[in-house]
Amino acid sequence: MTIEALGLEHFYGRDKVLNGVDVTIDAGSFTAIIGESGSGKTTLLSILSTLLQPSAGIVKYDGKIVSELGNIDRFRRHNIGFVFQFHYLISYLTLRENIALGAMEESRIETLLHSLGISKLSHRYSDEVSGGERQRAAIARALVNAPSVVFADEPTGSLDSKNALGVYELFRGFSCAGTGFVVASHDKKIADYADIIIEMEDGVVKDITK
Amino acid sequence: MITPLKALRKNRFKTSLIFLSMSVSIAAIFLISAISGGVVSMYSAMLKTDGDIIVTQKGIADTFFSDINRSLNDSILQIEGVKVSSAMILGAAPVDPLPIVGIYGVSENRFKSYPLKEGRYPKVGEVMLGSKIYETLKHPREVIISKKEFQVSGVFKSRIGFEDGGVVMNLSDGGELFHKSASIVLVSLEDLGQSDEIIGKINTLDAQIEAKTTESFIEQYNQFKIIQTSSDVIGAMAFLMGILGIVSMMSMVVSDRKAEFGIMRSIGLSSTAIILKLLGETLIIAIVAYVVALGVSFGVLELIEHADKFQGYINGEITSALMIQVFVISVVMALVGTFLPALYASRIDPVSLIQRGDV
Ligand SMILES: Nc1ncnc2c1ncn2[C@@H]1O[C@H](COP(=O)(O)OP(=O)(O)OP(=O)(O)O)[C@@H](O)[C@H]1O
Ligand SMILES: [Mg+2]
Repeated sequence: MTIEALGLEHFYGRDKVLNGVDVTIDAGSFTAIIGESGSGKTTLLSILSTLLQPSAGIVKYDGKIVSELGNIDRFRRHNIGFVFQFHYLISYLTLRENIALGAMEESRIETLLHSLGISKLSHRYSDEVSGGERQRAAIARALVNAPSVVFADEPTGSLDSKNALGVYELFRGFSCAGTGFVVASHDKKIADYADIIIEMEDGVVKDITK
Repeated sequence: MITPLKALRKNRFKTSLIFLSMSVSIAAIFLISAISGGVVSMYSAMLKTDGDIIVTQKGIADTFFSDINRSLNDSILQIEGVKVSSAMILGAAPVDPLPIVGIYGVSENRFKSYPLKEGRYPKVGEVMLGSKIYETLKHPREVIISKKEFQVSGVFKSRIGFEDGGVVMNLSDGGELFHKSASIVLVSLEDLGQSDEIIGKINTLDAQIEAKTTESFIEQYNQFKIIQTSSDVIGAMAFLMGILGIVSMMSMVVSDRKAEFGIMRSIGLSSTAIILKLLGETLIIAIVAYVVALGVSFGVLELIEHADKFQGYINGEITSALMIQVFVISVVMALVGTFLPALYASRIDPVSLIQRGDV
């Protein structure tokens, strides 16, 4: 799957925070969006991931314009996973139940729990495991429907550097297996793991390196 | 099923508040309907005892104000097809030391509809007491009604609270007490099919009277309409209060759980799924609240029925029809009260999870 953004502009009120962004992302790769705070990373990621409608410009998934997709919930459920800075695990459900929540089929859950190293913790509640483990459960939840692409905004923002590197490695591993990752972060270390690095500055793409 | 229970337990403080507010509303609806229904059905039962047809003064709004000639009863008894006919005076007066008690002056042939427990039926100058008032007054040998003394000749037991807490005397004594000849005549028929014909005949006896089937009299009886309407209004208020309680608590619940619904949206759960989830949760609360409110209402009615203060006049009745009706009301209350907050929850934009860490 290929994600294409053409002429993206975005305003929050009168503030223009994206000013003509064109990017093409091959969904089978690990793409990092980096840049200073306020440069527009989150905004770009929200638009690419269909959560936010741009003020101008279009986003296409395999040539189909997002705003013209009929049922966006369904499209997301089938194609896109999300990981946020906070795990947002539902506290009254076990890790396993959290992962199963949006699962269209449960068959992948065991494999995911295993490959994320949390199968022994799957019956615990989120406040009974560590921050790194929570974030891994959140990653499993994002991957449960075998999406083509997972979007993550500062996924390591609440983790220490050791756990952060662990998360990048997971992303790298899963992207080699075919799932695309688009990750916004101001952690420079992500560059060591990503295939493509999009650097943002003041609402425009400053540089793309591979 | 398990998941909503977990969610409710997790938010147990607000769950309990919703539960309490629903229980109170539902119990209020039960009690007001049961009590007003009880009053209506007790009074109806009284008039329907040996009364297929009721004769009152024409155009009178209330049986207590009705004034007809008691000799009418003798003429009615002559009509073919009439099984029994008895004149009655319905009144209320102080019975020392009770401030107000139902007094029934009845023609002799009606005594037998008050099953005796003790003693005998009253002669002139005597009364018989309902078992409830007999207990309340601690087994008196004589009573003072409106400053006039009567000997107690016997005690009867009636399942109708108004009678069991009341005093029965001869028609003539009642007439002196309330300064009238009779209030109503109750007529029972050999064959109900003849009622129209017999009503016609009775109505020709006197231009000042009006005969009706007791059934239709009760349907049109103003006092009952007033009781029914007030009970409906109070019930509707309780229903609205219940809904408001649910709306405000559920709004708080939804805002506490914003992240939860946002994440559900981000993993592609439909808005409908989220709405159904919340409706399911309140429905569970509603069902438990209903059961508890039903239990509480039975308890309260039992207490009221046995409270001396009410002399057995308040006799709530929770019929199975009422149970079903209130069950439906409870479910509707839960669904209506939850719908708007649930709709809001289902529209939480997952982008807020990205942009503000603090949802
Ligand atoms: N909801 C909003 N309303 C108004 N302005 C916003 C909103 N979200 C972001 N902005 C502004 O848009 C600009 C870009 O924000 P964005 O969140 O995309 O930056 P970012 O690169 O992700 O920054 P950070 O690294 O701090 O997360 C910033 O100036 C920010 O203040
Ligand atoms: Mg950001």
